Amino acid sequence: MSELYQALAQGLLIGSTYGLLALGMGLVYGVSGVVNFSHGDFISLGMFMCLALFSAFSLDPYVSVLITVPVMTAIGALVYIFLIRPMVGHQFLMVVQLTLGLSLVLQNGILMIFGGEPARTPSIVESKLVILGDVVLRVPHIIAFVVSFALAIGLYIMLRSTDFGRSIRAVHQNAHAASLMGINVGRVQVLTFALGIGILALAAALLLPGTPIQPTQGLRYTVITLLVVVLGGMTNFVGIMLGGLIIGIAEAFGTIYLDGPLGLLMPYIIFVAIMLFRPQGLTWSASR
Amino acid sequence: MREEFYKTPSSPIWWGALALAAIMPFMLSSYYVHILTLSLVYVALASSWNIVGGMAGQISLAHSLFIGVGAMLSSALLLKLGINMWLGLVISAAISGVLGAIIAWIDFRFQLGHLSFVLITLAFAEMGSIVVEGWDFLGGASGLLLPKDTGNFLAFQFGGGSGAFWMMLALAAICVLVNVAILNAPLGYYLRTIRDNEKAAQAIGVNILRYKIIAMVISAVLASVVGTAYVRYLTFADPYLLVSPVITIEIVLFATVGGLGRAYGPALGALLLVPLGEVLRGKLGSTLPGLHYFIYGIVVISVILVTPRGLLPLFERLWARWRNPQPVSK
Repeated sequence: MSELYQALAQGLLIGSTYGLLALGMGLVYGVSGVVNFSHGDFISLGMFMCLALFSAFSLDPYVSVLITVPVMTAIGALVYIFLIRPMVGHQFLMVVQLTLGLSLVLQNGILMIFGGEPARTPSIVESKLVILGDVVLRVPHIIAFVVSFALAIGLYIMLRSTDFGRSIRAVHQNAHAASLMGINVGRVQVLTFALGIGILALAAALLLPGTPIQPTQGLRYTVITLLVVVLGGMTNFVGIMLGGLIIGIAEAFGTIYLDGPLGLLMPYIIFVAIMLFRPQGLTWSASR
Repeated sequence: MREEFYKTPSSPIWWGALALAAIMPFMLSSYYVHILTLSLVYVALASSWNIVGGMAGQISLAHSLFIGVGAMLSSALLLKLGINMWLGLVISAAISGVLGAIIAWIDFRFQLGHLSFVLITLAFAEMGSIVVEGWDFLGGASGLLLPKDTGNFLAFQFGGGSGAFWMMLALAAICVLVNVAILNAPLGYYLRTIRDNEKAAQAIGVNILRYKIIAMVISAVLASVVGTAYVRYLTFADPYLLVSPVITIEIVLFATVGGLGRAYGPALGALLLVPLGEVLRGKLGSTLPGLHYFIYGIVVISVILVTPRGLLPLFERLWARWRNPQPVSK
């Protein structure tokens, strides 16, 4: 029984961060119709920036975000303006290939700078544990859970009730009508993409403590993010967070209850099943 | 089959190019023959992918599965069960074909959009790599080491070096020829109709399921056979190379750089990028690992931004302008 609680708790904590990773991608998709296949490599970039800041100034990853978030946001804006915007209007699949190319550039740029050995970035809370009855939780996971949900709620409020949030939703629903209402669609798209990448910098710091990182991990993060976004119905805010929790729990159950490869396959099997039988995602109505 | 197809195998340029390629091992050092062999592997793979990804417009990221089955399964059958590699090649190709048919069926049955198709095939590819890395029969994470290549043709050995080069040259030529054949056969027209407008294709009576399955099976079988030949050349069946989705991404990028949906486009992309990458890796691999991939990425991004349809159409336009200096009207 304690295994069950352990798996549930672990899955929920990790899943919340997966949800956060996916929110960035879902926002970008909703506003510009771009699926970014270099998403995971931007997460890598965020993690390795934290590593660099640690080795240079021994900054804790949680402090490094003060630097990495603005830098990554700026990188996101530049990438959108110079690489992705020229492709708007071309075939959708060309953007996929473009971001696959970008993923090679990022992954191997990191490899050239940091080398291929797995690395760790220590944090003061890394090895602290919280024990609730039979369940043992790692403090970094709890921090990730709290911050992810706080941020998700913050984003939700931002989308609901600020002008910028309303313009994002307007562009999402009908870009043409939005531009007729005086919204600068191009600007909203750049800002959303930049925001999506900025969120990744934060998520990277949340995932980092205690996790060995290596440059080639990006693709796996991309796949996990895609699983979550698709499960959540691409743009549905609540659905995406829910999808993150499901993938997180599937992963935790898979690794705890099943041996070897079958356990690792769990999230993918659940994803394929849901894709096939509920292609519109988990949510029943578009609530946005 | 239109007449244009028969022009290719009977054209002197085609045979001349093949003959010129075939005498390369006598003229170049073994290092350059190795680079050419690798380029031919990717010519063959990118051309086989082109049938699904270029002509039918379905960006399949599942091709690492077919390459992986061709490479890992045939090696495992030889090492664990003593099955001759020729038979292993046939078995793996058959299994890849069935896998391809299943993927195409799923795509049709569940009416996946373009994006969902990319995602589902990527999920399959990730699952495939997890299975191979975790299953000892297929070599697990440490891979399989094939017996030394002694040039015994009956045991699927070609004597390494120039023998492997000729084998790959034949395979690459077959893959390109299959592309030419399909483009000029009714199948090619059906596939392009499906790519350009699936609903319209269905409305005029194209059996979408049938042609999607045929395209995917041809593509999967070719990729699997190339996988077997590639692993025989490498001698070491490395799951992180042969079953990783990265190999598919490379193929997709070569095809995109060369020109999607064209018979010679993917071959052009591979012939330009693989030697570039290999030379860079040879010169700078020890000091800057990953540089060749980095440059691939830059090239791909630049090509997509400058000429989204690939280099082959660009070269054709430049050629036409050079032949005929007047502005060409479309």
